[in-house]
Amino acid sequence: MKNWRLKEVIVMATLSVVFGVIYLAFLPIGGVLVGFMGPIGYEPIFGIWFIVSIIAAYIIRKPGAAFISETIAATIEFMLGNALGPILMLVGMIQGIGAEAVFAATRWKIYSLWVLMLAGMGSAVTSFIWGMFQNGYITFAPNYILAMFVIRLISGALIAGLIGKVLSDAVAKTGVLSSFALGKEYKKRKKAA
Amino acid sequence: MSIPRIRVSQLKLFYEDDQKQPILDELNFELKDHENLLILGPSGCGKSTLTHCLNGLYPRELDGAMQGDISINGVSANNFASGELSLQVGVVFQDPETQFCMLTVADEVAFGLENKGIATTEMDVRIHEALGLVNMTAYKERVISTLSGGQKQKLALACILALEPEILVLDEPTANLDPKAAKEFIQTLDQLQQKKQFSLIVIEHQLDGWVSLIKRSIMMNTNGQIFFDGILHDGINQHRDRLEKLGIWIPRATKIALAIEKQGAYFFNTLPLTINELASYPISYNGLDKKKTVKADKRLLLKARDISWSKRNTSIIKQTNIDLYHGQFVAVLGANGSGKSSLSKLLAGIQKPSRGTIHLDDRPMKNWKEKDLRKKIGYVFQNPEHQFIADSVFDEVAFSLRLQEYSEREINNRVEKILNQCQLTGFDDYHPYTLSQGQKRRLSVATMIVDDQSLLILDEPTFGQDAHSTKQLLHLLVERYNQGTSIVMITHDMDIVHHYADRVLVMEKGHIVLDTTPEQLWNYPVGKLNQWQLELPKEVELKQLQQKDVGYVHT
Amino acid sequence: MFIHNVNPSIKAITIILSVLLLALVFDPITPFLFIIWIWFLTIGVAKINWKKYLLYFSPFLIFAVGMFWSNLIFANEPINPNAAITLFGRDFPTEDVNTALSLSLRILSFASLSLLFLLTTNIVHFILSLMQQCKFPPKLAYGILAGYRFSPMIKDELFLIRSAHRVRGVNRAKTLKEGFNQYKRFAVPLLASSIRKAERTAIAMESKGFTGSRDRTFYRQFTVTTKDWIFLLGMVAVLLILIIMSWQLGYFKWYNGEL
Ligand SMILES: Nc1ncnc2c1ncn2[C@@H]1O[C@H](COP(=O)(O)OP(=O)(O)OP(=O)(O)O)[C@@H](O)[C@H]1O
Ligand SMILES: Nc1ncnc2c1ncn2[C@@H]1O[C@H](COP(=O)(O)OP(=O)(O)OP(=O)(O)O)[C@@H](O)[C@H]1O
Ligand SMILES: [Mg+2]
Ligand SMILES: [Mg+2]
Repeated sequence: MKNWRLKEVIVMATLSVVFGVIYLAFLPIGGVLVGFMGPIGYEPIFGIWFIVSIIAAYIIRKPGAAFISETIAATIEFMLGNALGPILMLVGMIQGIGAEAVFAATRWKIYSLWVLMLAGMGSAVTSFIWGMFQNGYITFAPNYILAMFVIRLISGALIAGLIGKVLSDAVAKTGVLSSFALGKEYKKRKKAA
Repeated sequence: MSIPRIRVSQLKLFYEDDQKQPILDELNFELKDHENLLILGPSGCGKSTLTHCLNGLYPRELDGAMQGDISINGVSANNFASGELSLQVGVVFQDPETQFCMLTVADEVAFGLENKGIATTEMDVRIHEALGLVNMTAYKERVISTLSGGQKQKLALACILALEPEILVLDEPTANLDPKAAKEFIQTLDQLQQKKQFSLIVIEHQLDGWVSLIKRSIMMNTNGQIFFDGILHDGINQHRDRLEKLGIWIPRATKIALAIEKQGAYFFNTLPLTINELASYPISYNGLDKKKTVKADKRLLLKARDISWSKRNTSIIKQTNIDLYHGQFVAVLGANGSGKSSLSKLLAGIQKPSRGTIHLDDRPMKNWKEKDLRKKIGYVFQNPEHQFIADSVFDEVAFSLRLQEYSEREINNRVEKILNQCQLTGFDDYHPYTLSQGQKRRLSVATMIVDDQSLLILDEPTFGQDAHSTKQLLHLLVERYNQGTSIVMITHDMDIVHHYADRVLVMEKGHIVLDTTPEQLWNYPVGKLNQWQLELPKEVELKQLQQKDVGYVHT
Repeated sequence: MFIHNVNPSIKAITIILSVLLLALVFDPITPFLFIIWIWFLTIGVAKINWKKYLLYFSPFLIFAVGMFWSNLIFANEPINPNAAITLFGRDFPTEDVNTALSLSLRILSFASLSLLFLLTTNIVHFILSLMQQCKFPPKLAYGILAGYRFSPMIKDELFLIRSAHRVRGVNRAKTLKEGFNQYKRFAVPLLASSIRKAERTAIAMESKGFTGSRDRTFYRQFTVTTKDWIFLLGMVAVLLILIIMSWQLGYFKWYNGEL
C-alpha cells in the first residue's frame, strides 16, 4: 500500500462498495436461476461477482488492486446482509487471487482485453475450487461439475473481463479518471488520434 | 516586519503537461497574521485550484506542473512533511457532502484529532469544544447523512476548527445555505475570530454578507491572473467595468448604485457596498425595470390535491394543495430541508405522492403516458450531472430531438442555435462531465429547453454561478416564459424572485405556508420572514430603509 | 450483552474458524446441533429479538431447502444404491439424502453464525478493530469507511439517475443490445459520480492531516482482553465437543473421498 496514493485507495474502496451493493442485488437473481435450473443456475451470471477486481485493476493498474478490491467488495456485501458472513471475506480473497495471479503474470504491465478476460477466468478457477469445498459440489456427478466449471469460466471471461472493460472505458470517457492510469492512457490515445 | 502567514510568489500551474495556457498564472500575494482576505473571480478561473496549492495538496496530488513557491510562516511548502502542512492551513472545501469519511458527527471531528495525535483521553473535550463553536453540540451522536445541508456545512467547519489551524480557507461556504443560514454562518465566523486568532481566506461568488467582515480582496480574471490586490472597496471602484465584463458578482447595493448612476440620477464618488451605506445617500430610487411582460391567463395547468410524501417513515411533504396556471413564473422558497426539491419532484411526476392526486390538464397524472408527460413537463435537477445521458454535449442536446424523429438537418440547426444561446458553442464534442460547473448547469437547462413543454420546473438553477451564467440562464427562461411556458423555480436568491417571479410559494416543514405575489411577501413582518429563513431583496430593503428615514424625519 | 462486547476482530476470527471446521463435516447431526447452539447464543444470550431474527433468517431457510432438493436430484452415483428412503413418494438413496441434508444444514449453520456476527457487531467498530488488532493498513481501513459512507447513497443515486432518464424520455429497451446500453447508461453515471466523490473525499481527508501512517491515536480504542480469548476458545471447544458427541453416537462423518 506504500506506493498507492490515497486517492487511488479511496476510489478503489468506493468502487468496491458500489459493487458490493450490486453483488448483493444479484443474489436473488441467482437464487431464481438456481430455483429453475439447480445449482448450475448461478454459473451463467457468476462472472458478475468478479467484475470489481477487473475494473479496479484496469483503472488503477497497481499490484494488489484486483485482490484487495474483490476482498473489500465481499466484505461490504456481507456487512450489508449476505448470509455467508465473515467467510465471504475469505471467498473474496480467493476470487481476487485468481484475477491477481493473471495480472501478476504480466508483471502488472499488460491490460489488454485478453488479459482482462483471462483474469476473469482466473477468478473463476479459484472460486470454483473453493466452491467445491464450501458447497460440497464434489458430491455432484462429474459431468455436471464439468459443465458448471466451463460455464463459470465463460461467464468470468465475458461478464467480468469483457463487460468490465467496456464499462471502465465508458467511465474513462467521462474524464473523471484523468488522474488514474486508465484515464491517462485514454488521454494519450485521444491525443495521438 | 513580522513574517507573513502565507507568501505566494510566481505561482504558475498547469493541469496538463503540454497545456499552453496555465490555470494559475504568476500569482503573487501575501497574507498577514489575523488578516482576512476575499478571493473573487469568474467561475473556472482557478480559485479552488489555488486552495489546493495552499495546503500542500498540489503539487503532490497534481498530474500537471506547478512552478513558483508558496511559503507558510516563512517555510517553503515543499519542506513540510505530508500531512503537517494541512494542520496549519485548514481548508473547508466547496462541497460538504464529500468531506466526510466517518459515519457519525463525533467520529468525524475525532478523525482530524487522531491524525494530529491528540491523546485519546483528551479527545472528548476537544470534540465538545469544536462542536460548541458552531452550535452543534446537540448533534454529537448524529449520523452525518441525516443532517441538513447547512448543518453539514457547519460540521465541516467544526472539523477544521478542532485542529486549530492558524490559517482558515473557506471555498464557497454558503452556496448551499438559505439566506438566513448564510447570514448566521458569517456571524458565527465573526464571533469565532474574536475567540480564536486566525487568518481567514474566503472564496465566494455572492459577497454581500462578507463585506462587513472582510476588507481586503484579490480579484482574478479568466486567465488565472490577479488584476487587483487591495481594499475591496477600492477594487470595486477602480474596476467596476472590468468586473462586469468578467462576470464577477459585485455587492447588490453596488449594482443598484451603478444603475442609479446610469439613470443619471446621482453620481457616487465612492461606490457603496452595503444597502445601509447606500441608503445614507440623498437619492430617491424607484427600482430597476421589471422584466415581467406576460400576464397570467387563468387556464388551469396543474392541480394538486392533498398530496403527501413520506420516506423512511418520516413524512416530508404534508397534505399540500396547489393550482398552477398557464403562463406563470412561480418561485418556490423556504429553508434548507423544508421540502422544496421533494415537492418539485412530485409536481413533475418523477416521484409518486404517497397520498393525494395530481391532475395535469384535467387528466390524472397516473393516466398520462410517460412519453406524453415528458413533452408537457421539463425538469432540471439540483445536480446537473444527474441529467446527462449522452457522450457529448451535442448528443446530449440532440437526444430528445432524435426521439421526436426530426430530420438530421433540422436537429443540427436547432442544437447549434440552443448551444449558441447557452454560450456553449465550440464545446460540441466535449463530454458533459468535463465541463465546468457553470457550463454543466447551462447544458442541463439547454437539454430541457429544446422541447416545447408547457411547464418547466428548475431546482436551484443558479446556485454557485457567476454573474454571467446567472444572467444567461435567466435570459433563456424569460424567453420561454414570454412564449407562454409556465416556470416553477426553486431558489434562495431573493433578487431573482423580486425581478422575475409573479407568484411565490413559501415552504416550511413540508407545508406550503404562503402562496402570494413577491410584492406582498416583502410586506410581511421581519419576524415572519425570519421564521421562513428568508430575507428581503436588496432593492426592497433599500426602499424600506428610505421610508423609515423619511418617517423618522417627519415625527 | 457479552457477545456484543467481544472484540470484533476476535469475533470474526472465531466465526471463520468455526466455518472452516464445519466445512469439513459431512453429516447432518453436527451442523444441526451447532445451529441450535448458535440460536441459543443469539436469542438467549445476545438478546436479539426473535421476530427480527426470523425475518433475517427466512431467506436462507428457503435457499437451504432449494439446495437440499438440487443436491438430491443431481447427486453422484451412490456407492450403496440399495438403502433407500422414501420422500414425497419417491425413493432416494439414504446416502444421498444424508449428504443433501448435511449440505443444506451446513448452509444454515453458516447463516446463523454470520447473523450472530452481523447482529451483534457495529461495522465501523469492526473495521477500526481490524486496523488496531490485525495490523490492517489505516489507508485501507479509512478508505473502506469512506466508501462505506456511500453505500446508503447508492440507492438514492440510482433512483435519481433513473428519474433523469425518465425526464429525458428514455424508452424501455426492446432488444438485448438496447438492454445492455440501458444498463450502461445507469452504471456509467453511477460509477463516474462515485469516483468523483471518492476523489474529493480523499482530498478532504488529506487536508485533515491524514497521511496513512500507523502513528496515530484513536478516539475509539479497541483492546483484546481475556474475555475475548474465552469467547474464541469457548466457541471452538463447543464445536469440537459437538463433533465428538456425534462421533460417539456414530453419526459423524468427514469427507474422505468415498463419495
Ligand atoms: N483535476 C482537474 N483536471 C483538469 N482540469 C481541471 C481540474 N480541476 C479543475 N480544472 C480546470 O481548471 C479550471 C479552474 O478550476 P477551479 O475549480 O479552480 O475553478 P473555480 O475558480 O474554483 O471555479 P468555480 O467558481 O466554478 O468553483 C477550470 O477550467 C477547470 O475546468
Ligand atoms: N430520499 C430521502 N430520504 C430521507 N429523507 C429525505 C429524502 N429526501 C429528502 N429528505 C428529507 O426531507 C427534507 C426535505 O428535503 P428537500 O431536499 O426537499 O429539501 P429542500 O427544501 O430542497 O432543501 P435545500 O434547500 O437544502 O435543497 C429534508 O429534511 C431531507 O433530509
Ligand atoms: Mg471552485
Ligand atoms: Mg433542494
